[in-house]
Amino acid sequence: MMYLVATAERRSADQLPSEPARLRRDFRRFNLPVQLALAAATDVVPAAEDSGRMAVISLSPCQNGSPELYHWAEAAIAAGSGGGHFGAARMNPTHTLHVIDNLALSAFAIAYRSDGYCLGVGGAPGQAWCGMEILLERLADGREREGLLMAGDQARITDGTGGRGVALLFSVQRRPYAALGRPVELISIEHKRRPTPLPVAAHAAAGLCDLIAALAGHGAGDVAYEVPAEHTDGIDDVTVILRVA
Amino acid sequence: MTTARRVVVTGCGAVSAVGATSDTFWQALLLGRSGIARLPRLVAAQLPVTVGGEVAAVPLGCGDRDVVLANLAIDEALGAAHLKRSAVGFFWATGLDTYQESDRGPVFRPAGSCFAALAHPFGEPRRMIAAACAAGTQTIGEAYWQVRAGHVDACIAGGSSCLLSPFYIIGFAALQALATDDGDDPSSACRPFDRRRRGFAVSDGAGALVLESFETARRRGAPVLAEIAGFGMSQDRFDLNRPPDDGSGAERCLRQAVEDAGLAPRDVDAVNAHATGTRVGDLAEAAAIRRFFGSTWTTKPVSSLKGAIGHAMAAAGALEAVAAVATCRTGVVPPTVNLGDPDDGCELCHVIGPPRRDDVRTVLSASFGMGGQNAAVVFRRFA
Repeated sequence: MMYLVATAERRSADQLPSEPARLRRDFRRFNLPVQLALAAATDVVPAAEDSGRMAVISLSPCQNGSPELYHWAEAAIAAGSGGGHFGAARMNPTHTLHVIDNLALSAFAIAYRSDGYCLGVGGAPGQAWCGMEILLERLADGREREGLLMAGDQARITDGTGGRGVALLFSVQRRPYAALGRPVELISIEHKRRPTPLPVAAHAAAGLCDLIAALAGHGAGDVAYEVPAEHTDGIDDVTVILRVA
Repeated sequence: MTTARRVVVTGCGAVSAVGATSDTFWQALLLGRSGIARLPRLVAAQLPVTVGGEVAAVPLGCGDRDVVLANLAIDEALGAAHLKRSAVGFFWATGLDTYQESDRGPVFRPAGSCFAALAHPFGEPRRMIAAACAAGTQTIGEAYWQVRAGHVDACIAGGSSCLLSPFYIIGFAALQALATDDGDDPSSACRPFDRRRRGFAVSDGAGALVLESFETARRRGAPVLAEIAGFGMSQDRFDLNRPPDDGSGAERCLRQAVEDAGLAPRDVDAVNAHATGTRVGDLAEAAAIRRFFGSTWTTKPVSSLKGAIGHAMAAAGALEAVAAVATCRTGVVPPTVNLGDPDDGCELCHVIGPPRRDDVRTVLSASFGMGGQNAAVVFRRFA
């Protein structure tokens, strides 16, 4: 059994996490999706019993990179195709970090001294539900007692718009979900193959944000949350089954 | 708790700078051949680094080159296992976002696009693993745990990478992580563990394994190539750009892998090292391996494939897994190409020159990713 304990959503990284100090020090080096994921994660970690031992799953952004990196790449392409050469393009080494797929996970592990299961998934549509499934499997198998799922993404790397970060903390303990004041159990995640695949625009965090919004104000009872098609992988229809006590 | 099942490898596929099938790849490794070369397009672009490991079998400019590379490896592995895509789950790593060469010039290509293009024909689950340079090994480990726990009967696991482009050359050169061409012999640019090592050589490639429960494989009469016995993973928890000098994070991962297999370090016969040829990475890894084995490290052969095939990023661990399977089957450990003079601090039982023909049955294959993500898989001869 796995219960949703706390959630957080971030749309801006203006407000830096004050703790841990190591995270605050490195924060400005990260691109927006990573900043948003980490900021959301720091919001829920205080609700964890042992942040160093919990399972951590971090979703890679589907639109990784940054405006700085994008503009550098465009300049390099222009130089390369205009009779010049790519080699003339100089880049800030810090910006290389902006394409690393599991950066949020590594930064989190460093900041919180994670000694448990840490996995980066994603970069492709619909992987948020895979991340949630993995936590469900691991907590059900008794491998960990708590699990964190975090994600950050942006809609466009050209200007870093559409940024959203989200974090969900789960526990095997029957504790009230902070936003509802009552326990919310994640029962299962069900897949049903679509007759034909659907093209989807991927955003690592948006689907989880919508799930949180759907739960807001929900009374007691079973919830069959049908994930909107744009937040799936386009191959399966996905339904998240929860029970609000 | 679910009942643990034995997990076996029933198919392998490899596409690399030294061969476009698992057999040609393995034969080239045994011959000590290097696929690293000076690339005219990098020279013309006047890049700070002009060497890399290109896959000649898939031409540049070919549409969806990343997908073509991946499918070559997947087709080979599934063909060997006599399985269709619809019958297996899909665990894959596709590396990082990039600009891909095309007829219209460089086109932005998110890593997820390749995964999405590959995923549709496969059964459940379909998971994309994102773990930087450890992704290939992490993917195989995750798939192994899924099969072992009974969540899936069979799956394809591995990774592909198509990042040998000016953008990545400039980016990683800015981090001073890449081997430069010293003008004499470009094929020797990448020298894992060697005193003269200068960094890694970026390469393209893909590696795929078919993992299935032994019961399923036996029922189908499928050929069993090797067994996967354990998986370990850890975070360095140290620094985003470098590992701790003592390799403690990597050592933890190696220990977890053998403990997961119910083995002890003495049971491991050989190590397929990550060793990319960077100054700090190789030192930390050598320290980790010595600490892991204790006093017996002098008898445990270690080899790195990076001198031969370069660093294929998300595909690296998967290609190394293909080699580890071959070592388990044959007992032979391929040499570390371009290693002639092991550096101070890199002392290990290196395989230098000819391959080591021994009765190696259990191989630990490890990958260590940027940011401190570590992963290791234990392969053993099936008995």
